[in-house]
Formats: sequence, C-alpha cells, structure tokens
Amino acid sequence: MDFTFTEDQQLLADSVATFLHREVTPERIRASWEGEGSDTRLWQQLVELGLPAMLVPEEHGGLGMNELDFIQIAQECGRVALAEPLVEMAMIATPMLAQLAAGSQPCARVLQQIAAGEARVAIGHPLNPAVADAGIADWLLLASGREVHLVPSDAATLIRQDSVDPSRRLYTPEWDRTAPTYRVAGEEAGAAAWCAALNRGAVLNAALLLGLAQGMVAQSVTYAGDREQFGRPIGANQAVKHHMANCAVQAEFARSPIYRAAYAVAQDPARAHIAASHAKLAAGEAALLAAKNAIQVHGAMGYTWECNLHIWAKRAWALEKNWGDAGFHQERLHAWLLEDTTDIGAEHTFDYPAPEALDSAA
Amino acid sequence: MKVLVAVKRVVDYNVKVRAKADGSDVDLNNVKMAINPFCEIAVEEAVRLKEAGVATEVIAVSVGGKACQEQIRTALALGADRGIQVETESGVEPLVVAKLLKGVVDKEQPQLVILGKQSIDGDNNQTGQMLGALTGMPQGTFASEITVNGEKLKVTREIDGGLQTLSLSLPAIVTTDLRLNEPRYASLPNIMKAKKKQLDVLTPADLGVEVTRHLTQVKVQPPAERQAGIKVEDVAQLVDKLKNEAKVI
Repeated sequence: MDFTFTEDQQLLADSVATFLHREVTPERIRASWEGEGSDTRLWQQLVELGLPAMLVPEEHGGLGMNELDFIQIAQECGRVALAEPLVEMAMIATPMLAQLAAGSQPCARVLQQIAAGEARVAIGHPLNPAVADAGIADWLLLASGREVHLVPSDAATLIRQDSVDPSRRLYTPEWDRTAPTYRVAGEEAGAAAWCAALNRGAVLNAALLLGLAQGMVAQSVTYAGDREQFGRPIGANQAVKHHMANCAVQAEFARSPIYRAAYAVAQDPARAHIAASHAKLAAGEAALLAAKNAIQVHGAMGYTWECNLHIWAKRAWALEKNWGDAGFHQERLHAWLLEDTTDIGAEHTFDYPAPEALDSAA
Repeated sequence: MKVLVAVKRVVDYNVKVRAKADGSDVDLNNVKMAINPFCEIAVEEAVRLKEAGVATEVIAVSVGGKACQEQIRTALALGADRGIQVETESGVEPLVVAKLLKGVVDKEQPQLVILGKQSIDGDNNQTGQMLGALTGMPQGTFASEITVNGEKLKVTREIDGGLQTLSLSLPAIVTTDLRLNEPRYASLPNIMKAKKKQLDVLTPADLGVEVTRHLTQVKVQPPAERQAGIKVEDVAQLVDKLKNEAKVI
C-alpha cells in the first residue's frame, strides 16, 4: 500500500505553506493581540484561498475534502503559530455540522455560510473547559449534556477567561439551554457527534503541536547558528546541538502517528480513537520538549516577551492540555490495550497468519 | 486579445543558495523551487487584463525540463487558461530561450507578450529584449503600469530619476518591474482546476529552433564574507571614518 500523500494533497499543502510563511509573521500575530484577537484581513485571505470550505461537503457548496487532505495544512498552521481559529473551525466544527446536516436544516445553512466565507463557528466540547475564539464567531456549537446546540453568538453571554496564550481568546458561554430552536442533535446522535469531534480535535491539535515543535526547533537552530560565544556559534557545542537533535527526533516520531490518525479519522472512524490518542500523546511530548529546550537554547532571551519564541511555546503549553490532556489519552490507550478483543500484533497489522495458525499448519 | 506569459522555474527567493563544493554551479539538491517572482507579476498582470475584459485568453509558457510543468501549473492556478512547455534541458541561455519563445509567438500569434524583467537566478535581464529584437515587436521594459487602449498599449517604465511613459502599437512585448502589481495567491479550488487545464509539450524541433550553447559557465563562488560593522560615537567620527578610512568623501 502507498501511504504517501497524493500529488494533489502535497500541492495544496505546499501552496498554503507558502502563503502562511509569507503572511503570518510574529509582528502580525502581536498586532492581533492589541485588538479583539482577530486579524480581519488575514481571515479574508484564508477565505479567498478556500481553506474554511475545504471540509464542507460539495452539496453544501464546499470542496468536499477530508481530514487527510487537511492534516499537513494544520501542521503548517502550527509551524507559523497561526492565531486565527481556522483549524478548529475547518477540521472540527465543520465536519461535525456535516455529520448533523442530514437531520438539521440549521446545520446545513451554517455549512453553506462557511463555504461562502460568511460565517465562523466556534466549538465548545465538554472536555474543554472554555470555548476558544467564541468572541469572533457567528455561531457556537455547544454541549448541553450530550445534546448538541447550535447557538447564534449574539444569543449567548460570553464570559472572558484568562489564557496563557494571548492569541487564544477563551470564553465560557451561557445560553438558554431550554430553547428548542438551538437543539440540532439529541442525546444519542449528540453523543456520537461529540465523540467524533473529540477524535478530530485530538488529531488536529496533534498536527498543530507538531508544527509548533518544528517551528521552535527551526528558530532555535537558526539562533544557535547565529549567536556566538567564545568565538564560535553556540550551536557548535554538543550541549546545545544534542538538545535540538532530540527535539527534531521526537517531532519526527510524532509525524507518522499523526498522519495515520488523520487517515483513521477520514477512512476508519471505528478505530480512530486509538490512533487519535496516540497522535496527541506523541505530538504533545514533542511540543513540550521543543518548548523547554528552545527556551534553554535561547538563554535568558528565550523567556522574555520581546523574543518571539514565547508565541510558539505558550501555544504549545495551551494546546497540549486541550482536547484531552496526556492523562486522558493515556487512559484511553490503556483501556484499549487491556481489552480481550484488542487486535494488536503482527497478524492484525500486516495480515500475517496468527502464530497459532502457523503452528497448526506445521 | 491573446496574452502570452513566460514563466521560469527558479530557486525560491527565500532559499539561501550555496555553491557546489567544486564551484561548478549552484547546488540545487533538495532546494525548494518556485516560479520566478517577476514572472509571477507577469502572470498576475495578464490575469488582471483578462478579468478586466481586455484579454480573452492567457497562455503560460515555460522553457525547461519536465519539472517546469510545476511552475506552469502554478500559473494556471493563478488564472492562466492553458500552458505550453518547451522541453529542453535546464540552464538554457537567454538567446535560446528568446528564440524558442519567438517560435511560440509565431505559432500562437498573441497580441501581447508579458515577461518578467529578469529571473532571480541568472539575473541576465536579456530575454525580453532579445525577443523584441527577434520578433520586431515594440517593447516596454521595466513596466510599473500598463494600460491597453484599443490597438495601443501605454507602458509606464521605472527609470533612473523618474517615470517614463511609452505608447506602443500592439502586438507588443512588456517586461515587468516589481511594482507593477502584487500577485495573488492561488486559491485551493483554482489549484484543483489547474490540474485539468490543457498543457501542451513542444520540442525545440517543433518550433524549428536548434538549441546550441554559446556560453560556458566557468566558476560559481559565494560572495566574500562581509566584515562586521562598528558603532561610531558621533557624527564627527562617522565623517572622519568615511573620509580617511573608507575614502568615499
């Protein structure tokens, strides 16, 4: 089997990466902190590129792509520390609306608005303590028990919460949970939708974390090559370069589980929860290590507001706890590993005959 | 009006290029390649002419190996209607490129040919002018603004000390300067559509051109490392250093 990305997927990722690296600068991110946390011009550019519409089904005016098409783009968004809530909206909220659209006219209408670039949606999963970027959203996907409510943002009261990452504006929403017009999925359909959203959220966060880790490694390697002490670059010292090599290796080991998880979410949702948890754990570890070592490599500067590194480091600290922290995902993996019916081993991975079958054949 | 746009595959402008260890050429191994920025401006201008209803068809043409189809596809994603690749080995010199482009001009009969003023790899700044000489078409180089008015083309050129405005009769050749426009990014739907657009491959023989080499690259070496600057205490010290050390005043 060929698991490499298709030519189209690679082309799309390269094109978006070029755009992001040219347009999303630390100066632009810092400027967005001064306002309401949104760079309107940048969002408009993202809409013009067609990014929010990628996962909107074609019957609702979108491009009808899937999570695997988007995963490298999410990684690039992390690499530049994109502050706009593109990934959360395009890869979690939009597929959730698509999942519910068959039985809900409001979901179908909002999907069309997303495809046309006319609406933004923020999602409040029960696992997350606050709703990110609800203040700039037009619609909120919220949980009331297991039900899914689609609430116009002006019908909710948003209470601002503190965040370690100035790019992520967090809110606790309050709304009329008894209003029947908001309910777009009942208990059963809602539970399935929230479960699928959790897996997508874990995978996309993993991709963002991987991108953040790679971004921090790149900055630190550049800094270690430029900064000289005692007549030579500090990167020439093993104590520095081995730290960054460890980070690069950790990030590389996170890449395959993330791509596998994106494939599982898109093609094999029944087994996606395991792949998603594996990806989130691997990427979380890589990002935390990269943040820790990058700060050390930058010396005292790495800890300051003036140094851009903190934009990446704080995002990594925030996202590592989002969509399930390490404990939550370890617990999911442990529970699965200890099930009697768990299909692990070579015979499940490569379609090899089970050892017992080989014995009996002999 | 049919518009022909030439695009070249070059090293991405963000890449810090290195010479090969033996000094024979620039090292292109694992280097990101992209459309030449001036060519990108040329494509953007052609697409804007089409959007304004002035141009009816935009054709992107490139000369080089199979890899340059990537840059033609980029031009198609930006809005060109079809592409032509003239298949040659890479590193063809400007005179040969101009001859090949003349062959394409003869075949397609465009009313306007837009090229970048130079490519950021060779920095030759020759192809547009050579094409003008070969075709006999009037040329407006270093264009910072162009306006089509019937059978006339008004080209504003950036020259030393100001702007020069020329009036050219169509068909004509224009080479683009940096400030002509700001190219757009290709949207994802257009990238997908570009895959389905027509891309013809021609050989130099199809155009009746013989690819010959007149130039030999002798050596490639990086520029000498600049020495670190110093901070001066005051203006008087700066003037003193400029006068006595740098000897520039």
